[in-house]
Amino acid sequence: MSSTHAFTDNLLQRLREAAAAIGQNVAFMEVCGTHTTSAFRCGLPSVLPPNVRLISGPGCPVCVTSQGDIDRLIDLGARRDVILCTYGDMLRVPGRHGNLENARVRGGRIEVVYSSMDAVKLAQKQPDREVVFAAVGFETTAPATAAAICEAQRLNIGNFSVLASHKRIIPAMRALLTDGEIPKIKGFLCPGHVSVIIGSEVYQSIVDQFGVSCVVGGFEPPQLLSALVCLIELVVNNKTALVNQYPEAVHARGNRWALTLLEKIFEPGAARWRGMGTIPDSGLILRSDYQSFDAARRFNLPEPQEREPAGCICGKVISGAALPGQCRLFGRACTPISPIGPCMVSSEGTCSAWFKYGKSNQRTIPPAHLNELLEVSS
Amino acid sequence: MCLAVPAKLIRQDGQQGIVDLHGNRLPVNTMMTPEAKPGDWILIHAGFAIERLNPEAARETFALLEEVDRTSGNSDYRPDAQQNTATPAVRGDMS
Repeated sequence: MSSTHAFTDNLLQRLREAAAAIGQNVAFMEVCGTHTTSAFRCGLPSVLPPNVRLISGPGCPVCVTSQGDIDRLIDLGARRDVILCTYGDMLRVPGRHGNLENARVRGGRIEVVYSSMDAVKLAQKQPDREVVFAAVGFETTAPATAAAICEAQRLNIGNFSVLASHKRIIPAMRALLTDGEIPKIKGFLCPGHVSVIIGSEVYQSIVDQFGVSCVVGGFEPPQLLSALVCLIELVVNNKTALVNQYPEAVHARGNRWALTLLEKIFEPGAARWRGMGTIPDSGLILRSDYQSFDAARRFNLPEPQEREPAGCICGKVISGAALPGQCRLFGRACTPISPIGPCMVSSEGTCSAWFKYGKSNQRTIPPAHLNELLEVSS
Repeated sequence: MCLAVPAKLIRQDGQQGIVDLHGNRLPVNTMMTPEAKPGDWILIHAGFAIERLNPEAARETFALLEEVDRTSGNSDYRPDAQQNTATPAVRGDMS
């Protein structure tokens, strides 16, 4: 037997033993879209003991972006005087008037970029056009936006701006824990790459205030399994703690260079989340010195109007209050080919992962049993 | 969207670097990892290096990933980042 298999088998054995020792249902939540897809891809849900649930929370940046912010982005992309640069994840997210791909067909110039810096370069090459960067993402991605703004300022590029809807994960975790609608969880599997930036020690306040464990985990199957075993063994030992299970990349205080960039350009502010409403301090707002780079101001964009697609329960799925299989649209009207909600569009969305990796099983689970899965004991 | 991948920094000029990622050469901005030097493993996200991987802590992970890759027919992970070996992982070097 190879060492990988032996290592994984040992973790699985510990998982089963710890789950048996708990003697009750227990749920944990991951708040990272990459964790969602990694877990499904490696088959983690299929090896979990029946009394252990790993619930997907608001970790997919595309999914948590409010419908109003998405509508505003697509409207901007349809303008003929604008080149809208975006990461590929946002292209097919449905808005009030179609998606960005539709806007492109209608004549809008939408450019998919690998890096925020590509948008700055494009603005430099095309000084007669306004270039707007669609700045979506958690703290992992936000420093790249900050770096692009710094670069545009350094090069005195006047035709570059950002439409920012960056999010901060800690305020969202706090909001989840104070909202009675989600299942009671015993711990968070904390997002590995957000934690690369913000560090691990920032989760200590959640451990202390709410009495739930926070375990930072990596993304490969053994890393995911290690983090989950750690969470369960903490329950067995009746402890709550902060544990960094991704030490090769995550330091206690994060990446100070990235945090300095963030601090320079942004400040915390209220942000709109799909399904979770407005959460104080959960967004990153351009500081006053950099508001000339704010596309919303530059184009005098109206306040976003929030509106969910009819029948779509993405908001509940994002906050862990519902499973994709509970949605009437899932796998029927809403599929990856013709998505209705963002959780089906994004490759990191919970609905997309359920459809891709577990569609046949999940759809056959009767609604009553789905409720049972969510109703875990505290 | 928070996907980040480990890659080996093989060249650096100021804040611009080139990484080897499974044999592909990709440009990367290293302004957030000024301590990284050629030979280091770094995490890449959206064109930026967001962290230099700790070679001591990463060794076990790389060993596991290498084995996973070998099993699946790939061979680009090299565990001993500290010694900066891994020449077989660098393919198509144009330098």
